[in-house]
Amino acid sequence: MNFPELIQSVFDDTLGPGQSLSLFRPELTLCATMIAILLARMILPRWKTSGFYLVLLGLTLALAFVFPWRWFAEGALPGQEIFTGLLAADRFSVALRGLLLLFTLLFVTFTQIAGRWAPEDGAEFFVLLLGAVLGMCLMVSANHVIVVLLGMEMASLPCYVLAGWQRDRRVSSEAALKYAVFGAAAAGILLFGMSLLAGALGSVHLPTMGRRLAELLQAGVDPAQLTALILGGLMVTVGVAFKLAAFPFHFWIPDVFEGATAEVAAFISVASKAAALGLLVRLAGAFVGVPDARQFLVVLVSLLAAVTCTFGNLAAYGQNNLKRLLAYSTIAHAGYMMMPVAAMIALAGGQGSPDAPLSEAQKAVAALLVYLGIYLFMNLAAFAGVAFMRNVAHSEDLRDYAGLVHSSPGFTVCMAIVMFSLLGIPPLSGFTAKWTIFLALVSAKLWTLLAIGVLNTVLSLFYYLRVVKVMTLDAPPADRAAPRIPLTSAAGAYFAMLTVPVVALFFLWGGLSRWADAAAQALFFTTFGP
Amino acid sequence: MPSAKTLLVVIPAMPLLAAALTAVLGPRLLRTRSHWPTVLGVAFSFAASLLLLFQVHQQVRAEKNATFPSVTLWQWVDVDSSRLAAARTAALVESTAEAGAPPAAKQGTFSINVALQADPLTCVMLAVVTCISLLVAIYSIGYMRGDRGYWRFFSYIPLFVFSMTMLVSASNFLLLYVFWELVGLCSYLLIGFWYQRPAAAAAGKKAFLVNRIGDFGFALGVFLLWTTYGTLNYEDLFGPHHLPYAREALGTAICLLLLAGACGKSAQFPLHVWLPDAMEGPSPVSALIHAATMVTAGVYLVARCLPMFREAPGVLHVVAIIGGGTALLGAIIAVTQTDLKRILAYSTISHLGYMFLALGTGTLLGAVAGMFHLVTHAFFKSLLFLAAGSVMHAMGGVIDIRRFSGLRRRMPITHWTFLFGGLSMAGVIPFAGFFSKDAILLSLAECSGGLIYQTLYWTTFGGIVLIVLYTFRPYFIAFFGPEKIPKEAGDHAHESPRVMTWTLVILAFVAFSVGMVLEWNHVLSDFLAATPSWTTLPLPPAPEVLAKEHLAIALQSSAAVLITLACTAALYLGTRRVIVARLTGLLKLVGIYQLSFGKFFFDQIYWLFIILPAEGFAALCAWADNHVIDGLVNLCGAVPRWFGAALRPLQGGLIQFYALSMAIGLLIMLFLLLL
Repeated sequence: MNFPELIQSVFDDTLGPGQSLSLFRPELTLCATMIAILLARMILPRWKTSGFYLVLLGLTLALAFVFPWRWFAEGALPGQEIFTGLLAADRFSVALRGLLLLFTLLFVTFTQIAGRWAPEDGAEFFVLLLGAVLGMCLMVSANHVIVVLLGMEMASLPCYVLAGWQRDRRVSSEAALKYAVFGAAAAGILLFGMSLLAGALGSVHLPTMGRRLAELLQAGVDPAQLTALILGGLMVTVGVAFKLAAFPFHFWIPDVFEGATAEVAAFISVASKAAALGLLVRLAGAFVGVPDARQFLVVLVSLLAAVTCTFGNLAAYGQNNLKRLLAYSTIAHAGYMMMPVAAMIALAGGQGSPDAPLSEAQKAVAALLVYLGIYLFMNLAAFAGVAFMRNVAHSEDLRDYAGLVHSSPGFTVCMAIVMFSLLGIPPLSGFTAKWTIFLALVSAKLWTLLAIGVLNTVLSLFYYLRVVKVMTLDAPPADRAAPRIPLTSAAGAYFAMLTVPVVALFFLWGGLSRWADAAAQALFFTTFGP
Repeated sequence: MPSAKTLLVVIPAMPLLAAALTAVLGPRLLRTRSHWPTVLGVAFSFAASLLLLFQVHQQVRAEKNATFPSVTLWQWVDVDSSRLAAARTAALVESTAEAGAPPAAKQGTFSINVALQADPLTCVMLAVVTCISLLVAIYSIGYMRGDRGYWRFFSYIPLFVFSMTMLVSASNFLLLYVFWELVGLCSYLLIGFWYQRPAAAAAGKKAFLVNRIGDFGFALGVFLLWTTYGTLNYEDLFGPHHLPYAREALGTAICLLLLAGACGKSAQFPLHVWLPDAMEGPSPVSALIHAATMVTAGVYLVARCLPMFREAPGVLHVVAIIGGGTALLGAIIAVTQTDLKRILAYSTISHLGYMFLALGTGTLLGAVAGMFHLVTHAFFKSLLFLAAGSVMHAMGGVIDIRRFSGLRRRMPITHWTFLFGGLSMAGVIPFAGFFSKDAILLSLAECSGGLIYQTLYWTTFGGIVLIVLYTFRPYFIAFFGPEKIPKEAGDHAHESPRVMTWTLVILAFVAFSVGMVLEWNHVLSDFLAATPSWTTLPLPPAPEVLAKEHLAIALQSSAAVLITLACTAALYLGTRRVIVARLTGLLKLVGIYQLSFGKFFFDQIYWLFIILPAEGFAALCAWADNHVIDGLVNLCGAVPRWFGAALRPLQGGLIQFYALSMAIGLLIMLFLLLL
């Protein structure tokens, strides 16, 4: 293939009947929105609004271009590679991008209600935010080592800036710096690991790497090469674990959450995690065809999941600052969410029953999607509650929530619902989420991990309930006015609106799991063929 | 006329709407008008229930094997778990191999619909529940007037009605369980309605905890049902083409676990201890929840599962013995109590025991008798409770029968309605209780179950005497004799407001007539016999044989009732209380009086053997929490700091440590994996 032919084939792939570009429309819309905001600032210097409506429009358009509903309804899009194998376009990526964009839509509204900054700052904030979301969208459809790295960096760099958003606060700048240093180290390790893997396997295309690994292991591999492979795998895992804030790569998260505003914390804890989990599924999915790699990965991911979950819950015990408490609870939830990934890897070897539409491994991924879909609402709601309280009471300390039920009963009820849901008590959707991932663990026969997950749920009971107890049973502080957040205010109404899906998704469980099943259906087409 | 499906949805929907409305608007807007949504909503449901009953009745009369209305609101859970199911299916096929038929239910999918259904059993329950709820709600307008929690009361009550109507119309076990818990929650909230009073709060807690034991069994039973049959739908389990029931130990285990739930909810031995304490709640609550409706949920559950209970060996005997034993136990305790509401509570326990006993025969005759008694009991017992509430209302909250007497002149309507309720409960012809009580006796006499049922028949017969005694002892003491009024009542002890007395009168009329109406032409038994889950039950003998037997039993029992009534009147009406004292002395000598008065010391036994060890265990847990868990927690918090502190002198800053920790983590992982 000579050079012009190559150019021609790229051209065909991009614009031709393969329709790579049309499947990429959501990302393009995001880019266009970013440019539009920046241009609007330049052309209209007196422009006082932050571009909020522009962002809303852009995100809605992008969400419409993802077309989640149409594809699920028709059962189309069996899975294909686009841009000469750089990206995978399947329903899993559609689902995750849909979730990410939906979250961003809700999140942007939330920042508009809760955020306190000058409009010109707002424009910057939104540009950075959209940039990060763009990176995350790439992460969840990555099919190539370069895109993995590119997506991770695109998602991370704006987050460093967002973490240091309160420029006048020292803590904030410090957090941003720590985050950046940590992120740089993680990226370095990830890149090193990838180069090791690519060198040993002779490819940078993830599915090809998986196939090469299988061939290599079958042909027999010398110890030095094996060490390089293991080390490479570990290093890549470390890179992803950093994004997931898995133990022991979580050290940045409490500091960042301390320094960043509650809004940014919500973004990092939901969107960033969702993208990292999507990436983990993609990376692991490329290698699950190889039995040895599977065994290695199961142990690795299970270990990370168990340790992260336990650590997050134990550390959250002693927190008196609600934002910090939620930061640790986020770590714990990352641990829970890694559990279905472990189950997926463990199950990938087995064959599902022939008449079942989904293989067991795909069901484990569906469990992850169910969890993510619920986690999106409940964690956003939790951080939104913290942000709204901060605006009213100027504090994130748990003590200032004492007796909140007397002054803001509606708000307290919603907050209690969110806490109970994070804990996973029926009839709230958090139960659905936990139940689903535990079911995945049962079918994968990962009994130890299951026991750890269940024990951790019991552990987390204490600190979630403590928040509820402080809000309802403790006497309100006598020395100052009680904070008031009526449900009729914008903040209260937004908060109440977020708690509706937290409750409703429990009762619409069937629909949610059907959606997740549909999304997971075409996964692994690159590994096992369509 | 609205379709049956619409009605089925409207019946629970209206109270739910009322509950939401009252909860939102009650504290600010409605205040003392808070009862309106409840009364209107429940009245609407009652009307809908009657219409539904009528429609289903028409259907039953029109065709033999009617398909009853059911409506699926939405699919709640739909989880495909074929791998789990595959193993289970294999096990089931093995265990039912001798039964011949393969399991027909859809295997492999855990699929639960939010679906309602209305067969005759459900229709009867719905009509009773909504009727009593409506009357109690109206009564409460007067009873709860001026209470600080007026709107709170009227948002709990429709919530309860919603849960209870959903409970009886649910079409699968999971939905049943959900609303089973919800009625428990409402019961808890209403027992502790006056939560400022420590006794009320403690009673609420006790009810909740004791019910936990039963509900835990129930939950296990539901789990086992699913793992055994792969379905929780009534249709698959009790429908015309139901799955073959598991036999041997598995079947028995399922039924006993379900029975545990039923015993908890229906306050049967040994979980009966919560019901008397539940009387700390407002009297309308006692009438509605703890006499007429919620406590009969256990009876409903057993009635629903009766064919399955029949197939499992030994289970019916357990049901009958628990029922008979509890009936006797409750009756013995009720005889010596002095708190009017507690007397009624023990009598409720006793009557629920009779219902279990009737169901325990496992025949169609018994099942119908149990449900018949459920219906009549709902009316006369709620009447008695409301009348007792009326007394309590007038006496300034005093309910101890030793402290007032001779109330019949001051409270004529309460007196007469209490008398009607009492006569009905005692089973005096032609009051409602007479018919249902004789139906139970008849079903026992006709049951060919051997010595156990023979014994239980005579126990029941003896129990009738006790019913009369414990009903009319407080009646004569409270309403006859010289007028005595406690000082709490002040000098304005008077008849209750009209809204209360009118409901009493209506209930009295129903408690008088409902037995005759339902017995006439066997309208109830023919209707209930069409319940799909009961079609396999053994049929009663020919009507001529039955009628003869029935007459004999009616004569015997009536004689016993009337003689006891006369004796009771002689004992408590006259001035010669010496005889009472002598008799009491004699009973004390035997020890039975102390047992009865001390409620057989169940509370004390439970305290010694359950509460005390539990508290010890709790103390142990607290110690572990303080020392072990907190230590772990502190360790988790301290480890990064230690690391930081150890490395700070070397590195001169913290940031580098963060990057270093990543490398350390990587090394640790590598080490662990290569190990």
